[in-house]
Amino acid sequence: MTNGIVLAILGAALAALLAGIGSAKGVGLVGEAAAGVVSVDPSKFSKVLILQLLPGTQGLYGLLTAILMLSRIGIIGSGAAQLTTAQGWSFFIAALPIAIVGLISAIFQGKTAAAGVGITAKKPEHNGKGIIMAAMVETYAILALLVSILLIYNIAI
Amino acid sequence: MGTMKYANAVAAVRAMETFLMSRNDIEQLINANSGTELENLIASKRGTGNGEFTMESVWDMLKGYAPDCKELEILLYKNDFHNLKAALKSKIAGREPENFYIRPTNLDLDALYPAISAKEYDVLPEYIRSTAEEAYDLLTRTLDGQLADSLIDTAAMRAMQQAAEKYGGNFMKKYVQLITDCADIKTAYRCSKMKKNINFLEMAVCGSCELDKELLVRAAVSGTEGLMSFLENTAYADAAKLLAASPAQFEKWCDDVIMELAETARMQAFGSEPLAAYYIAAEAELKNIRILSVCKETGSDKETITERMRKLYV
Repeated sequence: MTNGIVLAILGAALAALLAGIGSAKGVGLVGEAAAGVVSVDPSKFSKVLILQLLPGTQGLYGLLTAILMLSRIGIIGSGAAQLTTAQGWSFFIAALPIAIVGLISAIFQGKTAAAGVGITAKKPEHNGKGIIMAAMVETYAILALLVSILLIYNIAI
Repeated sequence: MGTMKYANAVAAVRAMETFLMSRNDIEQLINANSGTELENLIASKRGTGNGEFTMESVWDMLKGYAPDCKELEILLYKNDFHNLKAALKSKIAGREPENFYIRPTNLDLDALYPAISAKEYDVLPEYIRSTAEEAYDLLTRTLDGQLADSLIDTAAMRAMQQAAEKYGGNFMKKYVQLITDCADIKTAYRCSKMKKNINFLEMAVCGSCELDKELLVRAAVSGTEGLMSFLENTAYADAAKLLAASPAQFEKWCDDVIMELAETARMQAFGSEPLAAYYIAAEAELKNIRILSVCKETGSDKETITERMRKLYV
């Protein structure tokens, strides 16, 4: 196994790891807030559940990036490619956008969605506004995912 | 992430706030024709299955969601020191203190009276310990209940100030400052009316960053007019005018200014402030219902009742 392949695998692992940590934190925070509302008014469960799901997407983006990268370097499928150190670094760097932006955006999306749970608790008819506010944060995770995918598919092997 | 640990509690409180009375609800209560109609309206607003709405139930709920929040305990210091007074006076009068206690409280009420009786002050929380000892000595030495009350009331304010400095954020510090200033103004006004001497005032007034103790005491000693002209140059100029017109209006102003502070926490998504604000809101609501019930019993007209209603949180 070359240094290049190790670096590429490290990049894939980071994408899944950091984005996953961010999502776990975000979903956990909204879950706490949601549980607070449901403990008082169980009928609001379905409304707060949507908010709780939102910060979970970054973890999925990280997973997607990791799978695409592992497939591109042949770990999944035809067998590991012989990557140079420069190619390895390139894959590692390609994973960074979704790894870092995924981590941070999931935490902030969790905070926004937890605040949105407060809207649902007091004014359930305005639940959609809380969802939209939290969804705005998602934009940056999607942009980061896009950059990571473009980089992964444009590295020459 | 410090304030994030109250995400669960704040969300629960937001849901609980929907059961608080709105201005429309209070207007409906004011228009109720009988005590029974009043009770029915209150019960319908509370909903079924929510249990009894008392300060004790509100406190239990808040502590259930935020058990380690020392900042919230400051809200009960007034009750704690009142309970100390009750235990001390019951001890002197040889009565059972149970009926004079206020709940909720941070104190273990089962241990309070025996601790006072046996002079075992170590059982009590640190913030009340020295006051209990001092007040007991003062009361047994002088048998002057008013003096002991003043000592305990001032100690309560000081304990709140110290706890707010130690555990509290800006919200709690402001709350304590408002509580202290309102109490000090009332004390200074009564003392100036009763022509109390400077030594008594020095003991009875606490002072704060907004209202300098020394200046307030000097103003109160100089008489009611001197006190009013002093207050006119402070942030409490409007309150002073109300106090001169009617102490009841001043009381309402104090409650309303605290509610205005609580309203600032309504926009906060996290932190202990919304929890404290909910407690203050519940306190105001129960006070309004008490005033309403008394007014209905005494046959007061709707205008008088409306005038006396405190500001609401919802």
